[in-house]
Amino acid sequence: MTPATKRRFSPRGLMGENRPTLWLAPLLAVVTLFYLYPAFEVLRYSITNASLLDPDYEYTLETFTRVLGDPVLYKVLRTTAIFVVASIVLQLLFGLVIAVAVNRASKRRLPGMVFMRSLVLSAWVMPGVVIGIVWAIILNDADYGLANLLLGTVGLGSVPWLSTPNTALMSVIIANVWRGTAFSMILQYAGLQSIPEELYEAAEVDGAGTLQSFWYITLPQLRPILMINIILITIFTLNTFDMILPLTGGGPGQATEVLVLRTYNVIFQNFSLAGGSVLAVAMLAIAMALTLIYQRLLRSEGSL
Amino acid sequence: MKSRKAQNRLGDAMTYLVFLFALLFFGGPLLWLLSLSIRTQQEIFITSLRLIPEDPTFENYTEVLYTAQFSVFLINSLKLALAGSIGALVVSAPAAYAFSRLTFRGNKLFLVGVLGLQMISPLVVVIPLYRYFDRLNLVDSHFSTAMVYIAILIPLATWMLKGFFDGVPPALDEAAMVDGCTRFGAFRRVTLPLILPGLTSTFVLTAILAWGEFVVPYVLLSEPSLFPISIGILNFQGNYASNSTNVLAAGGVLAMLPAIATFVILQRFIVRALTSGAIKG
Repeated sequence: MTPATKRRFSPRGLMGENRPTLWLAPLLAVVTLFYLYPAFEVLRYSITNASLLDPDYEYTLETFTRVLGDPVLYKVLRTTAIFVVASIVLQLLFGLVIAVAVNRASKRRLPGMVFMRSLVLSAWVMPGVVIGIVWAIILNDADYGLANLLLGTVGLGSVPWLSTPNTALMSVIIANVWRGTAFSMILQYAGLQSIPEELYEAAEVDGAGTLQSFWYITLPQLRPILMINIILITIFTLNTFDMILPLTGGGPGQATEVLVLRTYNVIFQNFSLAGGSVLAVAMLAIAMALTLIYQRLLRSEGSL
Repeated sequence: MKSRKAQNRLGDAMTYLVFLFALLFFGGPLLWLLSLSIRTQQEIFITSLRLIPEDPTFENYTEVLYTAQFSVFLINSLKLALAGSIGALVVSAPAAYAFSRLTFRGNKLFLVGVLGLQMISPLVVVIPLYRYFDRLNLVDSHFSTAMVYIAILIPLATWMLKGFFDGVPPALDEAAMVDGCTRFGAFRRVTLPLILPGLTSTFVLTAILAWGEFVVPYVLLSEPSLFPISIGILNFQGNYASNSTNVLAAGGVLAMLPAIATFVILQRFIVRALTSGAIKG
């Protein structure tokens, strides 16, 4: 034990300017009130039969078994999984392609690069509800919705974007890709910029073509950032609630009801505080698992 | 040499092909929204691809601002966003400084904990708070809502600010302390002013996120005069018939404009902060 750690135990040492206590006190207070307390309460409610309408409740494990035995849960999990996986694939793909283009444009000083970046990022900084509304207008099932208007112009028939289950899920994915691609783009762009130019020069001397350099240099060098990117897309997509509400409201039926929306509906539509808390506990567990993976990735990068 | 030139030209062409795709996919919906927002009611059902309407009008904007109370919603959003992001800075700055400068047991563990908070859906946080606030008569209050805004912005703010503090050599605050400053004095007079650009980008980014925040006010506020724009526009969409898409579009433009304008003006700061935040932690 170093002298510094020993000093911690005297009150003066605990409160001293070189000790973290006072510096962290406001943060710890907020974390306790707004994260630890709610997390504890959600855990507690999950083993009760609490309802939003009735102040009294009893402790029971029945809610857990009821929620886990509900076939709707598995439909919701399946929808959530499709939503997350499709978002990861498309956002990474689009993000990387645009990042490569932006990176090339900035290296060769081609005009339009900053405009492009601002445009893609504009989609990302918009309020989620407005994104949902924009896409609800564009994917309107009628002939005057922009998507159907475009299909009509090239001689194809209208698609019922929001009113059949499969197309509705596709629509939600499209809107989420529109929103999230920007984040992948800037991460990948930063990653591309950190690759040493010498690697490409050496590859060129060895006679490697553009595609070969991309495959053998760019992708392996980007791997850590791609992994971090996957984690962050997963968490952003799992927590997406605002955009879906104006777009499909979770429908038609329950076709686009993802886990977070289900949690909200169970509590505030069905008034089952306990049932929703079980789902919230599941969300907490997922968040924790993803944090651990993220932390591993950062540590292996030497960033933490 | 000639083939090199041809290759470059091919690459440039591909680059602009990607730009064209991105322009259509990302710009198209925004242009369409703008176009709808200046149309008259008769012109929203036309099935031709004209962007500039025959009879452009700004009436939709006045209607949405005055009749539909959007001016109230916009002011509420501004209040909540400012309170949330300023509050988050006040709480996060000293904590980030401690994470960056002080050696103490559990430093990294705490930091990972803060990162974990970022992953938690605000819905999970707000479920028990709703019941709690209900009992304390704190539902339908901008004060309690802003407190929750602060809480959900803190993880991001702390990580970003820690990154900026790491960028300032510790020798600078140590020199100030040798000259007789207390550590807190050095923090306030030396380190904090040095990361002013970092404070600015953190403030702007958290304010933009708070501007679009939805779940927290959706659960905690039920009085329409207190709604931020995100709730206001959702209700508006629910209440209006499809023959006023033009008015809804105007509302959408008003709701996104402040976020996009702030972002575009200050993007130089934000883009750098974002990338260093996600990669370097």
